[in-house]
Amino acid sequence: MNQLLLIPIVAFAKLLTWVLKVSGRGSGTALPGYLVGKYFPFALGALVSQIPIIVAITGTNGKTTTQTMLSATLSQVPGVKILRNKAGANLSQGILSELLKQSNVWGRLDVTHAILEVEEATLPRIAALLQPQIIAVTNLYRDQLDAYGEIDRTEKLIRDGIAQCPQAVVVVNGDDPRTARLTHGLGNPTYFMSLAADYAKFLPYEGALHQRQQQEQGLEASHIRINPDLTTDFAIHGTLAEAIVELPQVRTASPGFFHVYNALMAIAIAKLLGVADDTALAGLQTFKPAFGRGEILTKQVGAKQVHYRLLLVKNPASFSLSLELLKAIPTLKLILAINDNTADGKDVSWLWDSELERLNQAQIDWILCTGIRAKDMAVRLKYALDTPPAEPILTLESIREAIAQSFDTAAAGETVFVMPTYTAMLEFRKLMGKTLDIV
Amino acid sequence: MPYALTLTHLYPDHLNLYGDTGNLIVLKRRCQWMGIDCMVQPLTMGDRPTPGHTDLYFMGGGQDNDQVAVVDDFHQLKADTIQADTEAGVVFLGVCGGYQLMGHTFLMGNGEETPGLGIINVRTKAPGTEVKQRCIGNLIGELSADIYTEITAMYASPKPVPRTIVGFENHSGQTYLGQGVAPLAKTRVGFGNNATAEDEGARYRNVFGSYMHGSLLPKNPHFADYLIWLALRRKYQDDTLRLPALGDREELEAHHYAVQRYGRG
Ligand SMILES: [Zn+2]
Repeated sequence: MNQLLLIPIVAFAKLLTWVLKVSGRGSGTALPGYLVGKYFPFALGALVSQIPIIVAITGTNGKTTTQTMLSATLSQVPGVKILRNKAGANLSQGILSELLKQSNVWGRLDVTHAILEVEEATLPRIAALLQPQIIAVTNLYRDQLDAYGEIDRTEKLIRDGIAQCPQAVVVVNGDDPRTARLTHGLGNPTYFMSLAADYAKFLPYEGALHQRQQQEQGLEASHIRINPDLTTDFAIHGTLAEAIVELPQVRTASPGFFHVYNALMAIAIAKLLGVADDTALAGLQTFKPAFGRGEILTKQVGAKQVHYRLLLVKNPASFSLSLELLKAIPTLKLILAINDNTADGKDVSWLWDSELERLNQAQIDWILCTGIRAKDMAVRLKYALDTPPAEPILTLESIREAIAQSFDTAAAGETVFVMPTYTAMLEFRKLMGKTLDIV
Repeated sequence: MPYALTLTHLYPDHLNLYGDTGNLIVLKRRCQWMGIDCMVQPLTMGDRPTPGHTDLYFMGGGQDNDQVAVVDDFHQLKADTIQADTEAGVVFLGVCGGYQLMGHTFLMGNGEETPGLGIINVRTKAPGTEVKQRCIGNLIGELSADIYTEITAMYASPKPVPRTIVGFENHSGQTYLGQGVAPLAKTRVGFGNNATAEDEGARYRNVFGSYMHGSLLPKNPHFADYLIWLALRRKYQDDTLRLPALGDREELEAHHYAVQRYGRG
């Protein structure tokens, strides 16, 4: 297609982005992409065809973290120029908007790699066009079901997306039975990322864990240790593209089993793209957790500082796993911030599918429930805990007040753990003086 | 006095959507707090229930595939016992899919109506023109008068009992009550059984059906107690039996908050 045709379209998109920004009607993440995709559908293809390597990352949990870890790793390689969409801007219009934004006024993209987070139901709609070299699927959990219907359908959508890319190498979670079977009957080379069996059994997958077959290649993490500072150490061994992989000492700056999978994926993809072991590991060290995925915010009044460690919860799986981490924390101070806005899911039933019972093995100092559904959270806690943490269980609907009270209660220098739903996290960050912009 | 109850959780690995498992968590804990010895036994595919063994059955809702997967098993291995038990007054709670399956017809994922167990006289049909897609949202109902009257009288000491029940519905099937079946509640907010009638859930003998996920029992402790009370009263053949009045502060606060926030006046 004629590259010249792109010029007015790109100019229009850039102008629109600018107008939206100046007029304060949003950061212009989706609208330019939406309009261009609707009226000039060829534009996406013209932009995509300029990118030598495309990696698409999808799945319920961990897309953003995997994307960030992979960027951190690849960007260690000289000459690599990475394009990535912003966390959450993972529908086709968000991806197109990012391509338009990154291109110069001539419609040229000066990048070597695109690492794209793709929303699950979007994959089959843009897979044929993107033709990624690598498709990674982190896991498939029941998410907010009112948003997308059913997990069986999501599994099918992702499979349809992969089927449109017969050339793609597929990297999947090798423990999750739903992702491990995604390429059955398809010709795509597939690599399985798994945890050693004694860890995998803690993970709330649906159905029996996938058992690795002899001929299946992939990476396995063992000797996993979650440190009190919530860094995670582990060892990797396995086979990728017929080559043996042995990495006895790996550390991520982010806590927990989910992040081990994300790191396995990032390292596997980097190695499949030819990155050397040392470079990959060094890159992983530079990774800093994205907002809500273990980041630390500090509130200071006078000389007193209190730290808040944010662990986003978005579904029973992520909630249960984050609770598992908290068992390692001495004298746990915990804020549970539950909203029921559209982005959180209007139905809070999922609190009952989350294993709050895991807190029975934690050393609880105090727990405070906040957010629109603070009272629902308090009921869930009451039924989960063999001994209630306080009577009545502490609730403060206002997140602002919860921050104020927790700051007063905590001693100087202490860390409070915060498990917020999505909009509760945005509110929490805002109240702490953090804007939405990330990475 | 040492009371004991046996609860049977039907298809816990297939029918467990939207927090339905929370209902078991609540029944178990409340029994514990009341000093009732409570045993929960799962009953899944291939298992056969022992007649006369269960005091309270619970069956939740599932994804379409799972609901389709259990229906043959239900007909072949479980229907007879459950029918005999419930005819003898054993308590049964079905939520959403678990409610539909107890009726004459229920709705498959493809919109097909399939024969259910026919234990209670309700029918579930595909949505017609009156509802576009699914009935999704907060659901508030006002308990039927006879149920409410019994609930207010079942405690050993006086305690406030809400007239309302609250939950969250998510279904496409439209359920219609037949003869001999009474509604569980009158719908105040949301749809309940279907988009045109104004009732939510059903009662036949001690079989209860409801569209409330949420989960149903945590925010409706009075209704949870009612099921426990019915089960005890039947098992011990004691009409004077009364339940201890638990504090329920958190539960009732969450209940009233939901009524206030989603009740629209
Ligand atoms: Zn339902």
